[in-house]
Amino acid sequence: MDLSFLGFFLVKGLEISSPIAFSAMGGVFSERAGVVNIALEGIMTVTALTLVWGAILFQSVWMGLLVAVITGMLMALIHAVVTITFKVDHVVSGVAINVFAIGLSRFLCQSFFGAETQSKINPYLFPKLLGINSLAFWLIPAAALGWFLLYRTVFGLRLRSVGENPEAADTLGVNVTFLRYAGVLISGALCGIASATLFADKWITGMVAGRGFIALAAVIFGRWDPIGAVLASLLFGYADTVRIVFASKIPIPDQFIQMFPYILAVVVLAGIVGRSRAPAWDGRNYEKGED
Amino acid sequence: MAQHRGRFGVYALEQSAPFIGFLASMAVLTLIIMGLGENPGKAFQGIFKFSISDAAKLAAILSISIPYYLSGLSIVIAFRAGVFNIGNEGQYFIGGMVGAIAGVYFPLPAFLHIPVVIIFSMLGGALWAFIPAILKAAKGISEVITTIMFNNIALALVNFLVNGPLSGLQKGTSLEPQMKKLLPTAMFGKLNGFFRSIGWNVPNYVYLDYSLIVAIIAGVAIWFLLFRTRQGFEIRAVGTSIDVSRYAGIRVNRVQIGAFMLSGAIAGLIGLQEIFAIRGFYTYNLASGLGFDGIAISLIAKNSPIGIIFSSALFAFLKQAGYGLQLFSKVPNSVTYAIQGIMILFIVAINEILIRAARSLRKKEVA
Amino acid sequence: MSDALLEMREITKSFPGVLANDHVSLDLRPGEILALVGENGAGKTTLMKILYGLHRPDEGWIAVRGTRVSIRGPRDAIRRGIGMVHQHFMLFPPFTVLENIILGEESQTAGVLATARQSRQLSALMEENKLVVELGARVEDLSVGIQQRVEILKILFRGATILVFDEPTAVLTPQEVVELFRTFRAMKAQGRGIIFISHKLDEVLEIADRITVIRHGKVVETMDREGATKQRIASLMVGKPVLLEVERPQVTPGPTVLEVKDLVVRSPRGYDAVEGLSLSVHAGEIYGIAGVEGNGQSELVRAIAESAEVVSGDILLEGKSILEDGVRERREEGIAHIPEDRQKYGLLLPFSLAQNLTLGMHHKPPFATRLSIVNGKAIRESARRIIATFDIRTPSEETPANALSGGNQQKAVVAREMSANPKLLVASQPTRGVDIGATEFIHRQLVKARGEGKAVLLVSADLDELMALSDRIGIIFKGKIIKEIAHDQAVKDEVGLYMTGEKAHGAA
Repeated sequence: MDLSFLGFFLVKGLEISSPIAFSAMGGVFSERAGVVNIALEGIMTVTALTLVWGAILFQSVWMGLLVAVITGMLMALIHAVVTITFKVDHVVSGVAINVFAIGLSRFLCQSFFGAETQSKINPYLFPKLLGINSLAFWLIPAAALGWFLLYRTVFGLRLRSVGENPEAADTLGVNVTFLRYAGVLISGALCGIASATLFADKWITGMVAGRGFIALAAVIFGRWDPIGAVLASLLFGYADTVRIVFASKIPIPDQFIQMFPYILAVVVLAGIVGRSRAPAWDGRNYEKGED
Repeated sequence: MAQHRGRFGVYALEQSAPFIGFLASMAVLTLIIMGLGENPGKAFQGIFKFSISDAAKLAAILSISIPYYLSGLSIVIAFRAGVFNIGNEGQYFIGGMVGAIAGVYFPLPAFLHIPVVIIFSMLGGALWAFIPAILKAAKGISEVITTIMFNNIALALVNFLVNGPLSGLQKGTSLEPQMKKLLPTAMFGKLNGFFRSIGWNVPNYVYLDYSLIVAIIAGVAIWFLLFRTRQGFEIRAVGTSIDVSRYAGIRVNRVQIGAFMLSGAIAGLIGLQEIFAIRGFYTYNLASGLGFDGIAISLIAKNSPIGIIFSSALFAFLKQAGYGLQLFSKVPNSVTYAIQGIMILFIVAINEILIRAARSLRKKEVA
Repeated sequence: MSDALLEMREITKSFPGVLANDHVSLDLRPGEILALVGENGAGKTTLMKILYGLHRPDEGWIAVRGTRVSIRGPRDAIRRGIGMVHQHFMLFPPFTVLENIILGEESQTAGVLATARQSRQLSALMEENKLVVELGARVEDLSVGIQQRVEILKILFRGATILVFDEPTAVLTPQEVVELFRTFRAMKAQGRGIIFISHKLDEVLEIADRITVIRHGKVVETMDREGATKQRIASLMVGKPVLLEVERPQVTPGPTVLEVKDLVVRSPRGYDAVEGLSLSVHAGEIYGIAGVEGNGQSELVRAIAESAEVVSGDILLEGKSILEDGVRERREEGIAHIPEDRQKYGLLLPFSLAQNLTLGMHHKPPFATRLSIVNGKAIRESARRIIATFDIRTPSEETPANALSGGNQQKAVVAREMSANPKLLVASQPTRGVDIGATEFIHRQLVKARGEGKAVLLVSADLDELMALSDRIGIIFKGKIIKEIAHDQAVKDEVGLYMTGEKAHGAA
């Protein structure tokens, strides 16, 4: 194996990992604040569409990115309101939003582009660096920033406290509701970025292909830590890259290779020794004054 | 007497979320229609004209709602047990394939073949639910993630099998990838004659076939299981509180695994109509998304086996309504998908509020 | 008057059915340690919750340093210099000590935690108060004693001058108690005031300057340390023996039904809550377990009901070990259990009362036929009978359980467990949160069970109840039964002393 191939492999793997990694980081922030967000997949589906639409409309891929991030936050806002304010079960809400997102994206696609299942081509793309979408390189500073935000700032400390023990946090003057909303909205914004690292040239139904759910596995495997989740995402991403790069060279049928990332996710989850430690109040609704 | 009325009133309030949610989303639909520059009256007229204006159209809705109903039913049994089986899509594809294998390779007389095919479809679906069920029970791994992963694995697996060992096509044909044709004894007959004999003029292109009977039997069976047997009681208890169930001696793990696999089994029946009545062969190009639709259908109906009769009919209606909108107005078909999603969100949120309101009303009444 | 650090006057607070605080008054002076003593349910916790802003008093006022204040919540209390160290710590286990202390009052530069600066501040604070903890350690790795120090530092960091400690020594080793008292004295010297809630009279006499005794929501007496004795305090705590009108016919106890041998049970908090406990209960006998909450009663009950966390030892029902049996088997063998928390363990709240009354027996005839079909008629009939017999107030047997009052919910649970005709009935706090009428009724039912030859294991924080009902009382202390007293010989004061560990034979 020569160096240039290795280089290609490394870089391609980063590109393939980044949608999973960004959305996984979003998942970490949301769950650390105590809100389970399984709607990452659905949110990414919609943001991918609005990215293309925004880019074409404003003739700039960066504007498209902005639109995607805002859309992601709006979708996440729905989840936040339904779970935090209406206190619906987090998984139920997440499922509902996923269903809504599929429908919404088809409707928007038809409204914007006239066809239900795919959009027009977007000629405004992110600049390439080393042969891949340069946005993917943002993953590294983003991971560092995420880590810093969560562990070295007042905001991050308070966010974590809310997911761990909202009662105690409330007593100490921490605004539980605000921080929970913040965590969920951050996950929405990161989904927008994640979908931008996927493809920017076109939107097709089903293009997210389960990455939002693999991201959830990455959150668990990464032990609800931003760096851990990113590393886990890299694991999944690089495994997928192996599949893509070596597909023709392996005597295993195509479809089994396609299964690989999903089987890997199940194996990884099954292999976690003992029960991993989610934030103590992850997934539970908190009512002020609850004893 | 006043007490009785009051009690019924509170109960009615608690159950009304689906209706309120439905009305609210119809209001949203009206707004969207107006936003698209269309006259709502014209749009709704188009809907009715296309979807429910005569007996044939109503029959079409009934036909379309059959797989929806089965999908919703698979979720009802799971969610009632507190099991979030998001994998019914995969269970549907695998179940259908296993049933089709029985339909292609088992030469049997018709009166045996059809039940066998149904049983095998259920076995396939249950089998596909098995690993996620065990992982949940043994290691506490979230079934949400595992079942979704298994959905994707299922699609790849059937793709491989249908293109490979189970393929029924000659090399070089341009038909879609499919298994061998089903034996005639495995095919589901139509019930249109029966309906015509009772005065309902169902045209031949509408499929009211044996899968309707399967759906009815399955629905009754699940309803009976949940509300008339002690296993069903235990399922509902576990879905309400694992702590109390354990204290009462209920074997929680066993109940959840059982419900999980039953859910998979019912999901295996989703494809019956399309494979055994409409197409006559198995392909992985079956209607996709039915699994997730089932989740929506169940949530809208508050996980009630009777409620999903209405919500699956509603979904069928919305599907037709979408076409009606598109044909008779400038509103695109896909708006119905968006409305489905909005409806679920409205209903689950409003439901939460109403349950709390009902609870505090009851407390006052009893105080 | 106004040299008092804290004055609480005529504080009155009632909850549905219970008058928790009845015109309670107390003072705290600077540099003073005031001990607040009373049984479980006497009203101490409510009073402190009012001080901390978690409840608003119905009547009465509070003054801090001479100024009347209205405390609207914990943040308010903290701002006024009131700090509370709760019995169950309000910490964040995976976070570091530093993070736990500063949360909510973080020192920052533009949002970034000024960790270095803050560590220095805290080091100074720790030095000053002689409370040294490693700031970078994770709280979940620390011993309970050190965790408590973190809680203390939390409130000192926020400038607390009035410090309330709720049962702080309950979870400490003797050495740690010594350290804690050293800290108390240091804080005293700084002019802070300490309210110290405790059952442990030895400790109270060692450290307190004054002692306020509360009973049934009223202040019984406030005395100086000078001249106070354990006997005096204990008898004030428990009061004159209350004559509960419970008829207890003579019953000769039968053979042993329940035998617990050297049982060791681990608590979810990681230590052994039951440490080699042995007892036996006979047919036709009520065996009451008396003890301050937290001495292993809950773990003992859970071990008998479902073998949770049993490390060693044995539990025998009519001579046969049941350790390997699951919950359903135990019920089949004749164990019934009234759980401590009826909402969490005892009732399926959205289900109807009738269905709840079958829990545990729902799988057997007559409620389910051999083909597993539910017999709705039998369930309803049985429910109606039980509702009538036990006088459960409900519009109908189909009413959902969450609509019933607490007392009627409890009656329903008691009714169900007794209708199972068990050999052994384990009743855990059976009248907690229950009105007088229902309480009397439940007492009569327990005595009736005894008369029918059942063995009853009664765990209760209500000493009057225990003494009225029990044939024998076993006092549990630090996971063992340290003394058994027969009904005729039980004297309330004495039992109270045993409960607080004063008269343990051997180690204290």
